Amino acid sequence: MKLSTKKKIYQGIAFNLFRLMSGILVVVLISILSFIVVRGIGVISWDFITKMPEDGMTKGGIYPAIIGTLCLVAGSMLFAFPVGVLSGIYIHEFVKDNWFKRFVKLMTNNLAGVPSIVFGLFGMSLFVNTLGFGDSIIAGSLTLGLLALPVIIRTTEESLKSIDNVFREGSYALGATKIQTIRRVVLPLAMPNIITGFILSIGRVSGETAPILFTVAAYFLPKLPSSIFDQVMALPYHLYVLSTSGTDMEASRNMAYGTALVLIIIVLLLNLIANFTRSYLSKKVKH
Amino acid sequence: MIEAKNLNLFYGTFQALNDISMKVPEKSVTALIGPSGCGKSTFLRTFNRMNDLIPGVKIEGEVIVDDMNVYEKGVDVDNLRKRVGMVFQKPNPFAKSIFENVAYGLRVNGVNDEKLIKQTVEESLKQAALWDEVKDNLKKSAYAISGGQQQRLCIARALAVEPTVLLMDEPASALDPISTSKIEELIHELKKKYTILIVTHNMQQAARVSDHTAFFYMGSLVEFDETKTIFTHPVKQQTQNYVTGRFG
Amino acid sequence: MTHFEEELKHLKHEMNIMFALVHTQLSKAKDAFIRMDKDLAREIIQTEKRVNAQELNIDRDCESYFALYNPVAVDLRYLLAVLKINSNLERTGDIAEGIARFLVVIEQEFDEDLLQSSKVLKMFEESISIMEEIEAAFENEDTIKARSIFKQDEIINKINREANERIAEYIRLKPDNVEQALYILSTIRKLERVGDQAKNIAEEIIFYVEAKVLKHSKKV
Repeated sequence: MKLSTKKKIYQGIAFNLFRLMSGILVVVLISILSFIVVRGIGVISWDFITKMPEDGMTKGGIYPAIIGTLCLVAGSMLFAFPVGVLSGIYIHEFVKDNWFKRFVKLMTNNLAGVPSIVFGLFGMSLFVNTLGFGDSIIAGSLTLGLLALPVIIRTTEESLKSIDNVFREGSYALGATKIQTIRRVVLPLAMPNIITGFILSIGRVSGETAPILFTVAAYFLPKLPSSIFDQVMALPYHLYVLSTSGTDMEASRNMAYGTALVLIIIVLLLNLIANFTRSYLSKKVKH
Repeated sequence: MIEAKNLNLFYGTFQALNDISMKVPEKSVTALIGPSGCGKSTFLRTFNRMNDLIPGVKIEGEVIVDDMNVYEKGVDVDNLRKRVGMVFQKPNPFAKSIFENVAYGLRVNGVNDEKLIKQTVEESLKQAALWDEVKDNLKKSAYAISGGQQQRLCIARALAVEPTVLLMDEPASALDPISTSKIEELIHELKKKYTILIVTHNMQQAARVSDHTAFFYMGSLVEFDETKTIFTHPVKQQTQNYVTGRFG
Repeated sequence: MTHFEEELKHLKHEMNIMFALVHTQLSKAKDAFIRMDKDLAREIIQTEKRVNAQELNIDRDCESYFALYNPVAVDLRYLLAVLKINSNLERTGDIAEGIARFLVVIEQEFDEDLLQSSKVLKMFEESISIMEEIEAAFENEDTIKARSIFKQDEIINKINREANERIAEYIRLKPDNVEQALYILSTIRKLERVGDQAKNIAEEIIFYVEAKVLKHSKKV
């Protein structure tokens, strides 16, 4: 057989293999989504997203869980974003490349791999008990924030690394100090990438169940929180409750699918907003 | 007056500059040529202490700028860099508007008078022969203009803090021929006011723009003379081999 | 060897051809003069066209090297020297042709006494010898030999200076032969200029090899 034909056949096999794999991925994704949409769309209504749950969570809405999840996402990001970005800046721009830096980086990577239930237990022991916050939004937010921290630190570091040194040098060459250089030149360039890390952590935080299990989530609490020291319901936990330990499992089955759909839509919306911010920032930087 | 006296520079244990003494003539263009890794860029960067940013650099000897050894203890490096402007190989405007790029040096050095800033920005852009091309778009991002314009913007940015010396590290190597010749014309104009040191790999460019040329090889200054002499009858055989392209 | 070096080698080859051509023209002029060979003289006049063509050829090469290779330092000096040596050689070729044109029109044999007293044959020998020397100096980039040209040129100049008096004396003795005496004087004058051209070429060789300008200065 001619070499060229052989190469063509080989290429054809490889390409089709790639097509098959990505095809499977798309099929799986679409079936999960459509499964949830088909089952869940029926219960979605204005009442569903604005009413309190009723009748042992078999009727009514999931309003407090939505608000709870939004509170937790906002709270955790309020904590994790500044802390993560500042740590990332400190590690990348200020710490000399030595064993300490490598150790911190290793620990950060490890932290990203720790199961979320461990964060939950840690949050309970530190925030709920030791610091005495009790089961509260603040305890849950801080726990979720800790979970998101490694991702934000890592992406901050990576995006700072990707900024060409010529920009730093250009700033120093004009007599700028290190702080001025970072604040006025490096950060504006790195921000779009940092935001990407932010988006990823929002996605992760809003779907987590384990960390909030012992720190904030209420099984059933048909009212809105009045302060950051209140307990709240949260979508992921509510979903878990509806599907495993409701008062009437059959009756709440559809409610569970509806809740899942709402959770997916919220994550999607948050991602869209963050994505929009990112492309706006990067446009401002590039054009 | 800028000058290097018995300058040695080490990166760790590697000696990058070897006992260099050289007086750079004022208000003229001095070109530094030599093969890659010969130390010409490193030498250029000793004048504004840009090498300080690299870990493990050790420097012996003196570098004199305005009658002062810049490596003496207690020298204000930020202030030195204000007096010794630098233009880099790749145009590196900041992620800001054209106006703010030029104003940057003033702002980081504590100038707040908006009227003064506006006036300096205009003057600097005029000096860099860019004013007419951008005067209606000062608010636009610096990335919206061409590479050649960006490089002239970087020159304007350096001029805005009123340096006496201008260091240029291959300022035209990333540009097309027309932009290159604009930069070269600009250098020719600027030497009336500034002492210019330029590193270039393009020997024709060194020949066109400079008054004096220094040939570096393996960290040593092999020959330093008028550009005319270097390109018609250099004294050292190594210089001859390099400028005629028979190197190695 | 770089591409440009190969081009320069090619140019040197062309220059050697030019040297050989002019050298041969001069030798033939001498032979034609001694034998009063009008056919050979006509051949010289024909060959002059080849000399001119070769001059243009080398000029064109130099022009394109300047345009394409941006020569500097020794290359620049070499090309500048080649350009000037080329035109010096072309003029030397003209001299040989000028002598040949005399020979074509002249009617009678030269008087043996005149040849003896004017030293015109010695002049031929010296000028051919100086051509050989300068050709060798160029071939080997030999500046010592190039410097020896200046001495040799002085011998030629001396014969030339003495020629006036000798010819004048001869005319006083044989006023009938005044015409051929003047031919001889003119030939000596022409050959003297061969020495001048050789001297110019020697200066160019020293310029490109040593980067020293000897023109219009007291010679070393």
